[in-house]
Amino acid sequence: MAKPRKKRTAAAKNEARWAWAFILPTMIGLIVLNYYPAIDTVIQSFYKTGDFGMGNKWVGLANYQKVLGSQETWQSLLNTIKYAIIEVPFGVCIALVLAVFLNRKLKGTSTFRTIFFLPMVCAPAAVAMVWKWLYNQQFGLLNNIFHTQIAWISDPNLAWVSIGIIGVWSVIGYNMVLFISGLQEIPGDYYEAAAIDGATGIKQFFKITVPLLSPTTFFIVQTRLIGALTVFDLMFMVMDKTNVALKKTQSIVYLFYDYAFTKQNKGYGAAIVMVLVVFIMIITFILQKAEKKMVFYN
Amino acid sequence: MKRILSVVLALVMVMAFVLTAHAEAGFTINVAIWDSNQQEGLQKIADKWTETSGVKVKIEVIDWDNYWTLLSAGAQGGEMPDVFWCHSNTVQMYMENDLLLKLNDYIEKDGIDMTQYYDGIVKLYTRSDGNIYALPKDHDTIALLYNKAIFDKYEVAYPTDDWTWEDMYEAAKTISEKSGGDVYGMAMNTSNNQDGWYNLIYCYGGQVITDDHKGTTIGSDASKAGMEMVRKLLTVGAPQSVVAETGTDSLFQSDKVAMITQGSWMINAFYKADHHADYYWACLPYADVNGNGQSDDGERWSCYNGLGWAASARTAHPDECAALIEYFCCEEAQKLQAEYGVTMAGIIGISDEFANAFPGMDVSAFIKAESFNLYFRPYTRNTVAWEDPIQQAGGFLDAWQDPSDPAKMAQACDNAQMIIEEAIAAE
Repeated sequence: MAKPRKKRTAAAKNEARWAWAFILPTMIGLIVLNYYPAIDTVIQSFYKTGDFGMGNKWVGLANYQKVLGSQETWQSLLNTIKYAIIEVPFGVCIALVLAVFLNRKLKGTSTFRTIFFLPMVCAPAAVAMVWKWLYNQQFGLLNNIFHTQIAWISDPNLAWVSIGIIGVWSVIGYNMVLFISGLQEIPGDYYEAAAIDGATGIKQFFKITVPLLSPTTFFIVQTRLIGALTVFDLMFMVMDKTNVALKKTQSIVYLFYDYAFTKQNKGYGAAIVMVLVVFIMIITFILQKAEKKMVFYN
Repeated sequence: MKRILSVVLALVMVMAFVLTAHAEAGFTINVAIWDSNQQEGLQKIADKWTETSGVKVKIEVIDWDNYWTLLSAGAQGGEMPDVFWCHSNTVQMYMENDLLLKLNDYIEKDGIDMTQYYDGIVKLYTRSDGNIYALPKDHDTIALLYNKAIFDKYEVAYPTDDWTWEDMYEAAKTISEKSGGDVYGMAMNTSNNQDGWYNLIYCYGGQVITDDHKGTTIGSDASKAGMEMVRKLLTVGAPQSVVAETGTDSLFQSDKVAMITQGSWMINAFYKADHHADYYWACLPYADVNGNGQSDDGERWSCYNGLGWAASARTAHPDECAALIEYFCCEEAQKLQAEYGVTMAGIIGISDEFANAFPGMDVSAFIKAESFNLYFRPYTRNTVAWEDPIQQAGGFLDAWQDPSDPAKMAQACDNAQMIIEEAIAAE
């Protein structure tokens, strides 16, 4: 590789210099804000954190032993998976149906698109606060409309569903926009041919739309799955510390936050996060394998 | 995680920027506090100091949670505000790591009498080697808050200063029963510790944290008797699922609850509330342990806590910071503090003016509390490590969920004993 470098012309050198100048800001940003903290997290997970990050003590795998041996960790991981099981399938299916409807040439589609996309523009914390009040047992709108006394967010058997619903609501608009752009890639000829052959709308949907949309669907499922597994803000904003359903809804990132930032045990928190990283890596690996079988690229 | 990290980072960067910007201006001392109710009054007091010293003071409010995130991040990065509040939850760690300005020399030089302050607060801010790192800013006490309109509606006699906890139970029971569940007689969540159930433990002779801050008797028979009374109160109060979602203060302010116990730091919130004309304060009830029908020594306890004014050990202006702290904690300024209705004083016996700071609302119950048995807010080196867990599932939350079962409350006391002991052992 040494030879071609010598042969570089002045213009090529100049170009390379500019290339570096352009990617450097991004690289510095990535290194300082992403890579360094990520590596530091791995290192910290082997330490018992001293006060204010000073005097950290090497403890080897002790944090991991405690994290993996703690029932709390597995419960939180299960909570996170339960949340993902609600958010991802419902978020994808509802968004797909909406996208198909809104992809037609109807009056007011742009208005509807805006309405469905709006949740995506709102700050997640604000969304969670509003839902918290909708769900409120005493004064909440939901219980007032239906004249019920349901403890939407403090019944351990129900709270995870309630949280999942907020997640679905917030993510539909984003998924929908992605689906609409995917739908517009599908040539209209297919539908025309199918219509001439006598295929119904539903049949067209399953035989043409779904298979041809699979690359988009795969992308959404993969990104949303990772997003759902790292959920934090919903639980943090909606669940009060003394809520009895907290242990049954807190996500693994919430658990990390509790240890690292509230209890100031950053080493233990780092170990929790490493568990999540490994888990997400496994999921991503499985998804990549599945992609080859289930996704249809024409 | 990335999101949290970036938020924290952004906050630190903004803070660092703000701090360095002011340091360059030279003569402004940056003060950080967490209570916006106190900002105006304290700024007035600080301006008085500026008149003589010529050094400007800028008071900034950061809400409680972010305050601690920022302060610990600042401690790590070496950029802390010049002067700030300390709290019993965390101050031990700051003192042990030499992050605070040592005040002994200033105290000696200016002849400040440390015995004029509340003893528990002075002790809190004194390290085991005798170094003093903060001066007492204030003290707070607890009282019983009730809604007169609800008592009138259900024809129940108002709380008096001679109430026992049993009297409170009877009144709450009557209100809950007469209203048919529409209004709760009282409300208390597991998180109402300092202003709630801690006080019952002490009234019945228990201790959440022992005097040496190295142990607990929360699982003792005396503590169990106190928590048994709490359990009784809960059977006629708002269910935990309700208070976990809405908060006892909000429930009270929406006329859903007749009585709550509250600390003096919350007066302003109720003073400014819509129905404040109906709100009245009475002394905290007592436990008639010896059964002679009167409140004897050791039967009526109120928790008290006091913030401390401290300075960063790395401040560029240590002398000015110390002078400002001394002013904040001198009799003149603390009398003003009480007069403005900011808080009661850290100096003993000069808070009477505080009672007049809220025209139309009688808050003398908080000053009367000074003559009860006072215990300092329970703390250990890392208070948060046990304070949260005993409020949650596996701690007292189990008993709060099902107050009808006395065995669960006794079990919760035993669990809390273990949680606290383990947390102290890990310190």
